[in-house]
Amino acid sequence: MEELRLRKQKWTWPPRLPKWGFRERSNFKIGMLFLLPWTIGFLVFTLYPMLTSFYYSFTIYHARAPLEWIGWKNYIDLFHDKLFWQSLYNTLYMVVIGVPLTLLASFICAVLLNLKVKGQSIYRVIYFLPSIVPTVASAILWLWILNPQMGILNTLLGYVGIEGPNWMSNPAWSKPGLILLGMWGMGGTIVIYLSGLQDVPTSLLEAAELDGANWWQRLWYVTVPMVSPITLFNLITGVIAMFQYFAQAYVFRGTQDLGYPLNSTLFYSVYLYQNGFLWLKMGYASAMAWVLFIIILICTILLLKVSERFTYYAG
Amino acid sequence: MNKKIFSVLSLLLVASMLLTACGGKPAEEKVLRVWIQWGDNPQQIQELFDKYTAETGVKVEVTAPVEPDKILPALTGSEPPDVLVLSGGDLVKSYATEGLVVELSDIIKTGGIDLNDFFDAPLAQCKSGGQILCLPWGADMYALFWNKDMFEAAGLDPETPPATMEELVEFADKLTVRDAGGNLTQLGFLPDQGWDHSDLYARMFGGFWYSEDGTQLTMNSQPMIDSLLWQQQFYTKYNADEVLALSSGWADAYMSADYPFYTGKLAMYVDGEWMTGPNFISAFKPEASYGVAPFPPPADHPERANTAVVQGTVVVIPAGAKDKDASAKLLAWMMSPPIVAEEFCFNANLPTSKTAAKDPCFTENPKFKVFTDLMANPNASYIITTPITLELTESYGLVFEQVVHTGVDPKSLLDQLQAEFEAKLQEALK
Repeated sequence: MEELRLRKQKWTWPPRLPKWGFRERSNFKIGMLFLLPWTIGFLVFTLYPMLTSFYYSFTIYHARAPLEWIGWKNYIDLFHDKLFWQSLYNTLYMVVIGVPLTLLASFICAVLLNLKVKGQSIYRVIYFLPSIVPTVASAILWLWILNPQMGILNTLLGYVGIEGPNWMSNPAWSKPGLILLGMWGMGGTIVIYLSGLQDVPTSLLEAAELDGANWWQRLWYVTVPMVSPITLFNLITGVIAMFQYFAQAYVFRGTQDLGYPLNSTLFYSVYLYQNGFLWLKMGYASAMAWVLFIIILICTILLLKVSERFTYYAG
Repeated sequence: MNKKIFSVLSLLLVASMLLTACGGKPAEEKVLRVWIQWGDNPQQIQELFDKYTAETGVKVEVTAPVEPDKILPALTGSEPPDVLVLSGGDLVKSYATEGLVVELSDIIKTGGIDLNDFFDAPLAQCKSGGQILCLPWGADMYALFWNKDMFEAAGLDPETPPATMEELVEFADKLTVRDAGGNLTQLGFLPDQGWDHSDLYARMFGGFWYSEDGTQLTMNSQPMIDSLLWQQQFYTKYNADEVLALSSGWADAYMSADYPFYTGKLAMYVDGEWMTGPNFISAFKPEASYGVAPFPPPADHPERANTAVVQGTVVVIPAGAKDKDASAKLLAWMMSPPIVAEEFCFNANLPTSKTAAKDPCFTENPKFKVFTDLMANPNASYIITTPITLELTESYGLVFEQVVHTGVDPKSLLDQLQAEFEAKLQEALK
């Protein structure tokens, strides 16, 4: 009966909603009232700026004069801009190398932190602590850690006979340096993995053990597939965050120009910032923002599609 | 919940939102807002402007330092400061093109500001055609600093700095030291210590980014090439990677006793007048034995001796400033010689007013006087700016790094830069 009523409703226009009683209407109003702060925030601080930037992206922006409509020119110029491609390459480098590396490292850490050893909670605290250090503070800290002359990392490498690279002034090493910085603060990812590891059913692990699977086989054939939804979540949030990589790069150059050395740390958001807020090219920067939006959208959809085959959702 | 409570709640919500939106003070005494981009001593600057309040009864509220990112939103927003002091003049023309700052000729006339009292070089950076877009307040000049102890250790006369750019190269060679293991431990000269000084070297070789009137780009001219090649040798001769490794982090130690110039790791470099004042070398390393001299000219152009490039703070009035007359009066007060003298005496920067420069405070200290004299010298020059300055500087910075830090030949890179930016310049000047 219920089903029939719904089906019937589908075909009427305007849809005839069930008549609300006093209680429902008042509930609806209160609900809306509670939603109001968020809704206003969303409309004023997210939707409106987004729509405006979409409009700006087709114009030459003038702060105190009417905007000049130039159609697709900003987008066309973007594809002829060497620095755009350079910044996209730098960003993709971080996404393709930095994100998986961080995921792998945090998974390994989580597995180790999940072992029943003495002082387990102390270790967990130690690994988590760096992630509560503010981004800017940690970037400045790493500026000193990676200093080729006095930095602790190169000094330690020196003890084992390795001559450490010029982390900050060699374009080949600046991005790996930033990835190291990022991995130092991966406590959040580790915690999410840890919670996933707690959810791996012991019955499965025990069954595998009875079948003669060793530690490695249990990890590879049971744990890894069971935490695959966590991996997907970390992967997608990691990719999105990496596409918007900004603060660390902004701070990490020290007193040098943005992108130092040799534009190797000129990431997409950094170049966007440079165009919009330093060179007053707000229209061009808006076009960049929309291109980034589309790139992230495509990447996320692709990841979700591809992952369908590799992700296991229990139940 | 009944309808009444709902309406009352909604009304309260709307009312509270409206109240937060107003938030301002009721019509009370007038307050002028001054933003200062640089500002090592905000307290002292506020005290200086309190004198204006004492004289005129107009309250002045100083914000210093202001992050560079906040300048543009402030200029384009509805509540810009009444007077804005920028760290340098490089963006003024871009702001003017966008109509963000006021042309000052009328204000100068009505405020009785004497343009003849300004030194030429700092004032020149504010002029654009017949327009005056800013007024220079404090100025910086750059000269050669040398560490006398290191000169002595290298067998050089500690009282005699190099007389030519060629001699500087020879001195640097003697002052560059490797330890027994062959590791670089000390540099004789680092051309870009702290930041890029290409403007000074290019002037010494007789050229600049642009033609003097700023209408043509001269990026691939011989002086530009020579200036880059001259700087490059201080890296390539000693293995650029080793020089970079040794000097990395030096810039960050600027305001500390670990600065390489004090710790015996860098014998010569280029820096500004403030270093000789009370807040830098004498604060961080009072016992440092060092000398200051004008940067030497090339041997075949002795007439370029005492060439230096002026930089420093400039004052603009935002186009959106509410009460332009009040801004103008404050600007005139700021530019009066006694105020200029007081402010820059305190901070050990050069005054842009000729009258103020006679104050003993700028002439007593012989090291500081090197800079005061450079400012008054006819060879004093300035940074030519155009609406594309910032973008060009960024791209030039990349070429600079490639050439100086990695040893690439500058010619073709400068040719590319010339081709790309000449078009942009002509477009911007249209």
